[in-house]
Amino acid sequence: METIMQIVFVPIGIASLGLILSLIFKGIDRRIAARFQARVGPPLVQPFRDIMKLMLKETIVPENCVRWVYESAPIIALVGSLMLLLYIPMGPFNAPLGNFGDLILVLYLFTIPSLAMVAGGFASGNPYATIGAQREMVMMMSYELPLAMLAAATAWKVTSFSIAKISSTVIWSTVGPLGLVGILLLLVVVLSVAPAELVKIPFDAPEAETEIAGGLLVDYSGRNLALFYLSDAVKSFAFASLIVALFFPFKLGTTIWGEFLWFLLKVLIVMIVSVTTVRVAAARLQIDNIAGYYWKPIALVSLAALALIAIDTAVVI
Amino acid sequence: MPTPAFFELVKQILSKPVTNLFPSKYAPASIKKFLKKGKINPPIKTPDKFRGKLIYEKDKCIGCGMCVRVCPSSAMELVGEPPKRKIKHYVSRCTFCAICTEVCPVKCLHMSDEFLLADFDKHSENLIVG
Amino acid sequence: MSKTVNIPIGPVHPALKEPVRFTIEVEGEKVVGADYEVGYVHRGIEWAGMRQNPIKTIHLSERICGICAFCHPLCFVQAIEEIGDVEVPERAEYIRVITAELERIHSHMLWAGVAAHEIGFDSILNLTWNIREKVMDIVEYITGNRVTYGMLQIGGVRRNITEKQYPKIREATQYYRELLDKIEDVFLRDPTIRMRSRDVGILTKKRALELCAVGPTARASGVPKDVRQDFPYIAYPDLDVKAIMPEEPIGDVYDRIFVRIREIGQSADIIEQCLDQMEPGPILAEQNVAKLLADLQNFEGEAVGRAEAPRGEVFHYVRMNKNEAPLSWKARAPTYNNVQTWPDMIVGEELADVPIIVASIDPCVSCTDRVTLIKDGKEEIVTGEQLHKLSVLKTKRVMRR
Repeated sequence: METIMQIVFVPIGIASLGLILSLIFKGIDRRIAARFQARVGPPLVQPFRDIMKLMLKETIVPENCVRWVYESAPIIALVGSLMLLLYIPMGPFNAPLGNFGDLILVLYLFTIPSLAMVAGGFASGNPYATIGAQREMVMMMSYELPLAMLAAATAWKVTSFSIAKISSTVIWSTVGPLGLVGILLLLVVVLSVAPAELVKIPFDAPEAETEIAGGLLVDYSGRNLALFYLSDAVKSFAFASLIVALFFPFKLGTTIWGEFLWFLLKVLIVMIVSVTTVRVAAARLQIDNIAGYYWKPIALVSLAALALIAIDTAVVI
Repeated sequence: MPTPAFFELVKQILSKPVTNLFPSKYAPASIKKFLKKGKINPPIKTPDKFRGKLIYEKDKCIGCGMCVRVCPSSAMELVGEPPKRKIKHYVSRCTFCAICTEVCPVKCLHMSDEFLLADFDKHSENLIVG
Repeated sequence: MSKTVNIPIGPVHPALKEPVRFTIEVEGEKVVGADYEVGYVHRGIEWAGMRQNPIKTIHLSERICGICAFCHPLCFVQAIEEIGDVEVPERAEYIRVITAELERIHSHMLWAGVAAHEIGFDSILNLTWNIREKVMDIVEYITGNRVTYGMLQIGGVRRNITEKQYPKIREATQYYRELLDKIEDVFLRDPTIRMRSRDVGILTKKRALELCAVGPTARASGVPKDVRQDFPYIAYPDLDVKAIMPEEPIGDVYDRIFVRIREIGQSADIIEQCLDQMEPGPILAEQNVAKLLADLQNFEGEAVGRAEAPRGEVFHYVRMNKNEAPLSWKARAPTYNNVQTWPDMIVGEELADVPIIVASIDPCVSCTDRVTLIKDGKEEIVTGEQLHKLSVLKTKRVMRR
């Protein structure tokens, strides 16, 4: 009986908690972005209202689309993002599926929402969406290498791909000075991948409102759009939680709820640093610049980080 | 992202926002309740030469019809027969150029500072002067 | 394998503020062909202007363009004044210059925000529009309205700028001069903006001359074209105006940003010069509007009025023949010249650059558009000869009346 409870209700609870938290975080993100721009900004509950409004609107399906792909893409995207929450530990709470998957699985789960968007974009048959889907694929290919380096480097150090293991060891304390530099570089890499992973300015070429009118999402409306919106919010939250789990697993040593709040605060700070401040302070880059940026400097930096950590591990042992 | 724009933005986050809220905090669910606790943000003050809704002194008007001739949007209409001829002004058509106040030989037309003129009916009592 | 795809942009598109349609031929992300199509708006302003007295038309011409709401009536009024030999008092001419230059500041700030928005930099949009509020306040303070000023009258201006108002205007010009460094920092020294605007949408000097580009678009390509300098009107002969050009003009989007930002400083200088040189005196040649209306019925002849709007040269042609309404009125907005440069700039660039290139000439499509006649729903190509025939017909029609 207990196992059924665990299998059914814990994931549902975590998913709904994750949904609510990510929408609140989206509200905070919008509010802070507005304050950067000297605006008052929307109230914190605005994302909830947006979802509600989109749910009430008519869902239009274009005539010449591949209907089943078009309709299932948003659901796959949302399920993919919610799955992430089951693998990433939320501060003091261990991930319910933490024992069944590892960092590599999580990194591949991150591509599922993007792939679903690409599929939906192609399926909608709109030229803007096609261009957006092409751009999204180019971008995914560009930032995959740095992310793979991230997984390799952390696993090299901790000698395990398990996130539970990684987040239970404070990675900074296990290394010498060389490794410290390596981990710092790794942090820079992962923070600069974040806006691209989450399709935010300056790397929002696939959606590019003023160029291709919303790109991938141009034909989506109503419920389908709401699901994509939710999946975007959840994915941002999950990515920030992953960064916290990998790099900042520091504990306060208080009660379990205190730890949880501390974890949320860390996620918020990571989100503000890597997404909000970047997206208000930059213009949108062209897709070839984005690819160049990830293939040249960022890939080099991640390789250097991997090499440094490898050398450090060899020296320490 | 240490760009010049970024420092500007950091400066902005530390100062007060420059936009003002819409004249009520949110769209109220119930008007009655809203008015009871109501904190209505007052409209912004208008400058001296502001051109708002027209004020018409009907008694002074001699019905010469000059304003009707110069009104660019034909918002004026003559009503009645000569000695008692007066004008009728449709605010919903008015472009607030104030040329009628200049052409009037007896100065019976003035501009007020009233600008909250939205209405559901363009022929409502509020939007017809004279 | 090279396969090209046609991508339609417009008539309704988030990057375009007004209806214009582009057909962009892309190969991957690269643009290999571009064509534009205007003619989606027809407002009949000229038609209305030819059926009412010029005093009404002043206010109508303000509404040709919401942003050049001073330049269009200024051209019209200048043309009428030339027809009727109306002597404009000197103070009125200075007040006209001040309003025109305030309008230039506000238009350029507005454009800067829109351009930033096109490349996805919304923080700069908010920043510049916040700065722009100051000049809007001054315009409202002087004329009584933020957008359509209602400032002009045949033979002068309708509102005086009193001595009491000088300090506030000076304060605003000072504010802009101090902010200029900041604006340049934010725009010209920002790495992402530089990346998106340097060497993008190049219009060479040769092509700019061939296509008769005007205004900042021409100046950024190195053509020293400025009506204020070449054919000084109103009080500009007494003022120090020089066409602003980049030191080494390339003619890309970056240069067009540069020219516009420098012109904000230039406008602030001109306004201060005006305040210094202005002497008290009358502001209107004919106080009595009723008498003016009667005088207008005796005007006969034709004239053109031209002015340097924030976007380039505005040109109005008016013909009167002792009638209350003008016989002919033709308004040409600067965008009419500048739209021709679009295909030149767009071809060879990335698809992502199309919105910023389109925005870089500061297009004002509704001011430019005239009616397009389509017979039987078929597209038709009009040859030069046919155009000539049409213009002969029109001239005959104008002369006959």
